[in-house]
Amino acid sequence: MFLIIKRLWQVNWAEQWQYRANLLMYLLYWLVSPIIYLAVWTSIANQKGSVNGFTANDFITYYMLLLICDQVTSNIVIHTFGYKIQDGSLSGELIRPIHPMLTNGLVNNIAFKMLTIMGLTPIWIILYFLFKPDFSSVSITGILLAIPVMLLAFVIGYLLSATVTSLAFWTTRVYSIHEFYFALILLFSGQFVPLTLMPKVIQDIAQYLPFQLLLYYPIQLIRGKLSAEQIMQGYVMAFIWLGISALLFNWVWRNGVKRYSAVGA
Amino acid sequence: MHTLKLLSSFLKVNIQMALAYRADTVVNILLNLMWLGWELLSLNIIFSNTTTLGGWGLGELISLLGVFRLVNTLMIALIWPNTEKFNQSIRDGSMDYTILQPVNSMFLVTFSRITVWRIWDLVLAIILIVVGINMAGDVTTPFNILTFMLLAITGTIIIYSLWIVLIALTFWFTKFDNNVTILQALMDSGRYPATVYPAWLRIIVTFIIPIAVATTIPLQALRGELVIGKILMYVAISFISFFVASKVWKLGLKRYSGASS
Repeated sequence: MFLIIKRLWQVNWAEQWQYRANLLMYLLYWLVSPIIYLAVWTSIANQKGSVNGFTANDFITYYMLLLICDQVTSNIVIHTFGYKIQDGSLSGELIRPIHPMLTNGLVNNIAFKMLTIMGLTPIWIILYFLFKPDFSSVSITGILLAIPVMLLAFVIGYLLSATVTSLAFWTTRVYSIHEFYFALILLFSGQFVPLTLMPKVIQDIAQYLPFQLLLYYPIQLIRGKLSAEQIMQGYVMAFIWLGISALLFNWVWRNGVKRYSAVGA
Repeated sequence: MHTLKLLSSFLKVNIQMALAYRADTVVNILLNLMWLGWELLSLNIIFSNTTTLGGWGLGELISLLGVFRLVNTLMIALIWPNTEKFNQSIRDGSMDYTILQPVNSMFLVTFSRITVWRIWDLVLAIILIVVGINMAGDVTTPFNILTFMLLAITGTIIIYSLWIVLIALTFWFTKFDNNVTILQALMDSGRYPATVYPAWLRIIVTFIIPIAVATTIPLQALRGELVIGKILMYVAISFISFFVASKVWKLGLKRYSGASS
C-alpha cells in the first residue's frame, strides 16, 4: 500500500508541477477576494473604531489567517474528478484495485495543496509587510489545537465534495450542483466575514454545520478567541461530521458506481 | 449595417446553441438569482454595521453592483467563450478560416460566441442601477446620469481593448491559455468602491488591470465627483486604448503562421 501511495504521489506531483503557471494564476485568482474583504472591513472598522468588537487589526489578522486555513482545508476534487465521470475516463481507474477517490484523488489534492502553499508563502510574507498585522493574541497552544481540527476539516470537506462530485453518476454534469454547494460554504464558513457579524439565524445554523470548521473555527482558535467550552464543542462537531460525511460518501459512491454507464466507452 | 447584420446572425446561431441545452439554461438562471441574493445579503451585512463605505451609501453600492454586473456579463457572455474558441483555433490552426473571411478578423474573433441567456443579466443590472440611483436620490442631476453612462461605455471599451491585447499575445506565445485569467482574477474588486482599497491595490485596479475604470469611475461621475477635464481624459484614454489594441491585433495577425500547414 505504501509503495502504491508513493508512486501515486510521484505521478501526481509531476503532473501538478507541470502546470505550475496555471497554478500561480489560480492562486492569484483565489487571493483577490479575501484581500478585498479585508480592505472593506478594515475601512469600516477604521471609520467607527470597531465593528461588533472587531477592530481593524482583528480583521487583518482574521483574513491573513484565512488565507492559510483556506489553503489547508479546501480541495479541488470537483475539478479533478467531475469530468472523469462525465466523459467516462473514470473507467480506467475503476478497474484498479484501489479506491479512485480515496487514493489517487486524495494524493492529487495533497500534491496540489503542497504546491499552492509553496506559492502562497512568499505572497503571504509580502502581504504581511503591506498590512502589518499584530499577531500578539496568537498562542502556541492555539496553533497546536488548530492543526488537528484543520486536518479533520480537510478530510470532512474532501468527503463532502467527493459526495457532491459523485452525484455526477446520476446527473452526468455536476457543476451547477457544486455551485450551490459552494454558496453554502460561502454563507456558513466565515469566508466573507467572521460569523459573529452574520445575521443571528445564519450563526445559529452554522454551529451545527461542518463548514465553519473549514475557516471560522480554526481561525478564531488560532487568534485565541474561543473559550474552552467552544473549543470542545468544535471538536465534538468535527468528529460527528467526520462520521456523517464518511457514511454519506460511502453510500453515494457505492450506489453511484452501480449506476455508472461509462459514457463514451 | 453589414456589421449589424452579422451580429444578428451570430445571435441567432447562439440562441440555437443555447436552446439545445434548455434545462441547463434554466438552472443557470436560478443560480444567477441565488448569487444576486447573496450579493444583496452581503451588502445588507455590511450596511447593518455601518452607514457608509468609503463615503458611499447603500444606494450607491447597489448601483455599483449593477455596473459591476454589466462588466461581469461582458466577461462571462463574451470574453470567456470567445477566448476559449480563439485559443483553440490558434492551437489547431482553424484560425486560418477566420482570417480568410472578408470581415474584420478582430470583430469575428470577439463576437462570434455569445452566451445568450446572460442577456437577462443585463436587464437585472439595469434594474439594480436604477433602483440604486433612486435610493441614493438627492445628488443626481441629469448631467451626472449622462456622464455616468458615457463613462460606463468608455470603461467597457478600455476593458475590451485590454482583452484584445491579452488574446493577441497568443500570436507571440502560442501556449498562453491563461490570457484572460488575470482579468477574471481582479474582477471581484469591482464590487466595492476602489477608494476603500489600500493604495497599491487601487493602483493595480485603476492602471494595470483597469476594472475600477469601468466600475468605480462611472459611479463617481454619477455622484458628481468628477470634473469635466477628468471625464474628457477617460474618453480620450478609451479612444487611445482601442487604437493601440487594434494595432497590436494587426501586428499579431502578421505573426500568425497557421498551426497545421
